[in-house]
Amino acid sequence: MSALNPATNPFGNFIKQRWALAALVIAAALVVLGALALSGTPPLQVLSDLVKSSLGGARPLTGTFRELTPLLISGIAVFLALKAGLFNIGVEGQFTVGGLACAMVALKIPGIAGIVAGIVAGMVFGALWALPAGLIKAYKGGHEVITTIMLNNVAMLLTTALVAGPWKAPNDQSPTTTSLEQASFLPNLIGPKNIPGSAGLFEVGELQVSSGLLIGLIVAIALWYWLKRTVAGYELQAVGANPTAARFAGIDHRRVTVKAMVWSGAIGGLAGAVQVLAVEHRFYPQLASGYGFDALGVAMLAGATPLGLIPSGFLFAVLNKGGTSIQVLDQVPKGITYVILGLLIIIAAAVRYRKTAGSNG
Amino acid sequence: MSYAVAMTGISKRFGAVRALDAVDLNVEPGNIHAVVGENGAGKTTLMRALYGAMQFDSGTIEVEGKPVRFANSKQAIAAGIGMVSQHYGIIGALSCLENLMLGAEGGPIINPGAAAAEATKLATRMGFHFDWFKSAEGLSPAGAQKLEILKLLWRKAKIMILDEPTAMLSPADGEALFASLKQLTDEGATVILVTHRLPEVLDHCSTVTVLRAGKRVAEKAVKDTNARELAQLIVGGAIAEAPQRAASTGGEVLKIENVVVRGRRGEDALKQVSLDVKAGEIVGIAGVDGSGQRELFHAISGILRVRTGSITLEGQDITSESTSRRLRQGLRIIPEDRHEEAVIEDWSLEENSALGLQRLEPFAKGGVINAPARHEAATAIADRFATKHGGLKLPMQSLSGGNQQRFVAARALHLAPKLLLAFQPARGLDLNSTTRVYEGIRQACQQGTAALVVSFDLDELLEYCDRVVAMNGGELLAPPAGKLLDRDTIGRLMVGAE
Repeated sequence: MSALNPATNPFGNFIKQRWALAALVIAAALVVLGALALSGTPPLQVLSDLVKSSLGGARPLTGTFRELTPLLISGIAVFLALKAGLFNIGVEGQFTVGGLACAMVALKIPGIAGIVAGIVAGMVFGALWALPAGLIKAYKGGHEVITTIMLNNVAMLLTTALVAGPWKAPNDQSPTTTSLEQASFLPNLIGPKNIPGSAGLFEVGELQVSSGLLIGLIVAIALWYWLKRTVAGYELQAVGANPTAARFAGIDHRRVTVKAMVWSGAIGGLAGAVQVLAVEHRFYPQLASGYGFDALGVAMLAGATPLGLIPSGFLFAVLNKGGTSIQVLDQVPKGITYVILGLLIIIAAAVRYRKTAGSNG
Repeated sequence: MSYAVAMTGISKRFGAVRALDAVDLNVEPGNIHAVVGENGAGKTTLMRALYGAMQFDSGTIEVEGKPVRFANSKQAIAAGIGMVSQHYGIIGALSCLENLMLGAEGGPIINPGAAAAEATKLATRMGFHFDWFKSAEGLSPAGAQKLEILKLLWRKAKIMILDEPTAMLSPADGEALFASLKQLTDEGATVILVTHRLPEVLDHCSTVTVLRAGKRVAEKAVKDTNARELAQLIVGGAIAEAPQRAASTGGEVLKIENVVVRGRRGEDALKQVSLDVKAGEIVGIAGVDGSGQRELFHAISGILRVRTGSITLEGQDITSESTSRRLRQGLRIIPEDRHEEAVIEDWSLEENSALGLQRLEPFAKGGVINAPARHEAATAIADRFATKHGGLKLPMQSLSGGNQQRFVAARALHLAPKLLLAFQPARGLDLNSTTRVYEGIRQACQQGTAALVVSFDLDELLEYCDRVVAMNGGELLAPPAGKLLDRDTIGRLMVGAE
């Protein structure tokens, strides 16, 4: 411990830590290349395919942005709870419940009104799904990691039961709701005008970007402002940073905990609603397909500000999209992208931990 | 005879600051050697250099005649040097025994029974008592301090460095501590005592080294000096005058009637406590640590629920109001535990300047933070008691303990408090800063604040308060009229002897 204590020898340790970090990055790169080499495909070709299929042109980028939207919004949900000192592992479930609520509303109410009502319904149900975890944490001290994981299972099973039973699309084999009318789709922000249904407000060649992404960007910026500039944001972060000091500062940590969990759930529900309205146009149980869990990584990599969620989400989107493609192009399992992400998170943690160790010295 | 510790020409720079400038320290074995000086004089830095917790730029250290240079504290411990810092290193989640042994278990397999027997032997020798298998979480500050000393003995330290050991102790616990230290030195141990309290130096130490602004200004045999001379050496000039008493008091600000509060173990931690504090007066609460002062403060702050009785602030019943409401009505708190209760270490000074005031103007308006006003307030708060800092955007943890305390005290006084609750407001502060903080409280009181101050240092209370009441076993005991500041009377009330 003392060897890492910069107070003892700031300069020497700075060098040492830089080297340690460089060594970590090199080791991580070797692990990735080694894993790729083991899969039998030339590593550099896989990497080049990965980049090309996610960033190289309008079609790959369309796919990457489609990944980015749910990753970003779910990432915001995790991030908000994290700022209050809470690990919301339940975004997956909130996403799922929010998606189903939105689909059911949008199926009943056509057009713009249905879109708006669907989004609201998604957020309300996402919030309700997180509420028990918040209440249990605040008033009974039950750990939110446990309760939210449990609620994920309940969400999955309950929604599956509903769309396999009473709300099942009559002509479908698998459990799913009926598909939405085109009038209920969330329109594209960017899209070619000559393709019906894809036209956007702006046109950039073949590129398609859903206005769901715009919603995500707005929420990220709003959260950034809220945390930085409002008393409520200040108080939420105080509870996350030091709950005892927060109490002495007149902050009701219980209420803040419940509030943070509920809003985190609402944003998780929003992610599900946007996914239904913009991408899937129906609800089926695999709607979230791991976005809620990837969101944990997105939030971890984002750093101190919600604006960091945008590049961090983009990185995840690139690897998600590219990872799917290299399965087809190179017969390399998608799991390799998780290896990359895992290593990136370790490196990010090393960098952050180093800072903490430094300031405590 | 060689010195137990001989530090010669120790220098250390932190950036542009010369923290230590060719400092010598010669400690004779079997003695209690005091190191005194103002906050920032370099006392702790010098001790950290000796303990291997910090590398110095130049100079030499000899321990028992042999030149040494410790790369880390582990080597210092191996050489028989131990240190108890101001912030105790007790881990609440572990038992007392586990805390005692942590890092010095003596092998991969622990035999708790044998270890506890050994620990009990050690404790008995010092006149301490510990329930070794109980969690360390419930330890009082005095208990934690004792455990820290036992940790040094457990590691067979022969040279012990104690940094402000009595800051959190009651006078009785302090006396007991010195009795233990005396016993240790009689057995051949050497103690280096870093302190602000001159009576401790004069009563218990044999030699004293005075540091000022990183330089050694004097080393004296205690029998050849006196409090006045030491104070002048420490400050290097005139000593701040003690503040005056209240000329007159105004209306009743705080009225506590028959308050009962339940303690952790279900006992009555406060038993029918009643107290009035008027505008303009400073009321001190004396008492041994754990007599109910904490619960009384928490009840007034709204952190502990009051079972029966009532608390009134400026005529309004606040018994069941939230802390937030009380703060808005003009309550300000200087909490007991600076680290845990008063600041957020990772946050900047500027962000910390609003903590507790965050909903009040000018810090915020309509729920939105007023950043320029907050910056201005943070500047004023840092300036008030001359908090030394490297910039308001730096994290709170970049400040020394004393400077954090100055900041916290100044923050509580910033927006004209109606009622100030101060728990050891001068904790870790030197003479001059203590006087300045109490002067600040006095000034606020002249503007109509009522102040309630807890300290375990009875002399401090007698010096700065208008009247002092005592707490003992959850009861509040006021001395009779005419003896409002009588040391003997209050001392007897504190221990329940009257």
